[in-house]
Amino acid sequence: MSNSDSTDTIGSDLQISQLRSIILGKNSHIVTDIVKKDARHIVGDVLTEALNDRQKQDGSVNKVLLPLVEKSVEYSVAHHSDKLVSSLYPLMGRLVRKSVTAFLTDFMEKTNQLIENSFTFKGLKWRFIAWQSDISFSEYVASQIFLYRVEHVFLIHRETGLLLKSVNSVSQNNQDADLISSMLTAINDFVGDSFSIDEGGLKEQLQTVSTDTFNLLIKPGPNALVVAAVIGNPPQKVNDQLQLTLEDIHSLFDNELNDFSGDNEPFQNSENLLQDCLLSEQKNTEETSANKPWFAWIMIFLVVIFIGFQMFKSWTNNQLAAKITLIENQPGIIVKSLNVVDVNTIELHILRDPSAILVTDWLNDNDLIINNLNLTEHQYYSLDPDILYARAQKTLSEYPKITALRTNNTLVLSGFISFFKMEKLLKSLEINGYKTGINLVTTSLKLDNQDATLTSIDSKKIKIQLFNTLIERISVMKLDFDLGSDNVTLPMKIQIKHLYSYVNQLKELASELDISFGLIVIGCSDNSGNKEINEVISLNRANNVSKILHDLGLDEKLMYVTGLGQIDIETINTSARKVIFNVIHVKSKA
Amino acid sequence: MIQKKICLLGSSNVGKTSLVKQFVEGIFNEKYLTTIGVKIDKKVVVFENEQVKLMVWDIEGSDRYNPFQEKYLRGCSGYIVVSDRTRSSSLSEAVEIHMLARKVIDCPVILAVNKYDLPATWNWNDDGLQDHHNLFDEVFDTSAKSGENVENIFLKLVELMLKD
Repeated sequence: MSNSDSTDTIGSDLQISQLRSIILGKNSHIVTDIVKKDARHIVGDVLTEALNDRQKQDGSVNKVLLPLVEKSVEYSVAHHSDKLVSSLYPLMGRLVRKSVTAFLTDFMEKTNQLIENSFTFKGLKWRFIAWQSDISFSEYVASQIFLYRVEHVFLIHRETGLLLKSVNSVSQNNQDADLISSMLTAINDFVGDSFSIDEGGLKEQLQTVSTDTFNLLIKPGPNALVVAAVIGNPPQKVNDQLQLTLEDIHSLFDNELNDFSGDNEPFQNSENLLQDCLLSEQKNTEETSANKPWFAWIMIFLVVIFIGFQMFKSWTNNQLAAKITLIENQPGIIVKSLNVVDVNTIELHILRDPSAILVTDWLNDNDLIINNLNLTEHQYYSLDPDILYARAQKTLSEYPKITALRTNNTLVLSGFISFFKMEKLLKSLEINGYKTGINLVTTSLKLDNQDATLTSIDSKKIKIQLFNTLIERISVMKLDFDLGSDNVTLPMKIQIKHLYSYVNQLKELASELDISFGLIVIGCSDNSGNKEINEVISLNRANNVSKILHDLGLDEKLMYVTGLGQIDIETINTSARKVIFNVIHVKSKA
Repeated sequence: MIQKKICLLGSSNVGKTSLVKQFVEGIFNEKYLTTIGVKIDKKVVVFENEQVKLMVWDIEGSDRYNPFQEKYLRGCSGYIVVSDRTRSSSLSEAVEIHMLARKVIDCPVILAVNKYDLPATWNWNDDGLQDHHNLFDEVFDTSAKSGENVENIFLKLVELMLKD
């Protein structure tokens, strides 16, 4: 039995030896070949789990894969950029839109804040105070808007005082964070060594540092400090948050803090923890709403109202001025200056003919009611036909028997009038701008024979004076002829009619005054042409005129007609083609 | 980026602040202003293609009325002890300060014999200086005024610290 047992033992040992030689010996390829055959399946079954386990164990998978992935991406960018772009395109579009939206939102918010804080009285005041205090406007605004705000948070290595990481509430980097960290540590060292040590053997520790702008809250830990720079008065919750963050950092970065040799790279991941400390609280909303630029809005509103009012006032003034300027269309009125101060105050300087319409009447006729009319009026004598006619009408109103007709600015008078009244009327009309032979026709004006005016005048002196006046009037009459002509034109005939009228009046007065008279009709000629012919022409001119007078009814016996020939006076000899008149009178012998 | 805290130690008026000013700002000022407490500057240097940010603690000079302040040495990665070749006593004081510093910290240390632009004092003994060489990792003659060896002394300290 024992032999068989020993034989079995020897056999199994041999088998094991053979098996060992098969696996590990020269025939090991038999096993490895079989394993290789199924290697893909075997590894594929456990690959994911194995990678996960190894990553958990020492994190080496990431380290191995990272360069491979980087190389792959680099290769892909270099050789298959089209595919990469196509793959990333949908994502890139969204990312760009998101980035642009975020930028615009941030920009609008900052712009709104800037406008809000710049256009209020308070904003300007803050700007001035910030300038006076030599701090930036944004810092001052933050100090005014926030009850408190944590501006910066520093994580400082306690032993060396070196800055491990810092975060800021605004996007700008704090360039002095390193120096602040070191100086805080130096101050802390100074405090710790300079003041007494407490009962537990711990040194004094700086907790807060206050400046004009900041409160520095210092939370010391065994290996690191967390320091927060706070604007305003920080509440207890900031201290609590700092303490929590400090504890978390000590818990998460224990090894890194203990082994710190100057490399702050491992502490980059502490940013999220430090961000939690960037707390802030705004002042109450009522105060914020009070920050609305109501003052600026009121000012803008008032300015708009003022400008609108001024524009409306200017427009109405211009309208009124345009209306008032129409007064110039009235005859006998000239506007020298017009100043419309407002709708109720007007300064007007005009020239006005006394016969023209009154300014106030014209304003009333046109429904222009002006309370303060400062009118400066100067009189002038207008030659406007309408004004002349108005004056004539005024004069003619005293002569009810006379009818006046205005045609083409010429006044045609008709009716019966006494000799003296006619003289007076003609004088008045002449003063008023109507002159016989120019714009006044009196041919239809008949002497009123029934009028006893002449006879009623008893005064001999007056009659003599009238007699002389008529002679003067006849003496100044003259008829101008064309060169070489003895033809009596229509205007000459009108003058001859007047002459006839004067001679008739003279005849009446002469008989009353017992005076004999005769009318001398003298023809003249210039020195052009033959002298004998000129004598004939001059005589013909006088004869033609006397003939017309005779036709009108003047007795030939009262006329003496003569021709002077050419008038050899050097200054007039070229234009002496005239017929002139004179009256010779003598006291009757009887 | 690697950061290192380094300190400058030495007697009063040996030129510690001037060395730092020359190193950081590249300027020298004849006017003497005593440092109170500590003054801290920073400068980034490049050593073997690696940027190193140096936080330079310029510690006030120590004398009989103002004892050495070892508290500022805490966490220091290296320090420079400065002496003045125009004042031989400053060398023995530098050694003394170095001995005191050694008690609280063990790190690379360089001796800077400053004011090299001036003639040495009559009783300055270079042999005496040789005796102290083994106490320091390196000894440099420096001039804050001319800038001689200023950059080198800091770069050497960086080298020593990174190898440490």
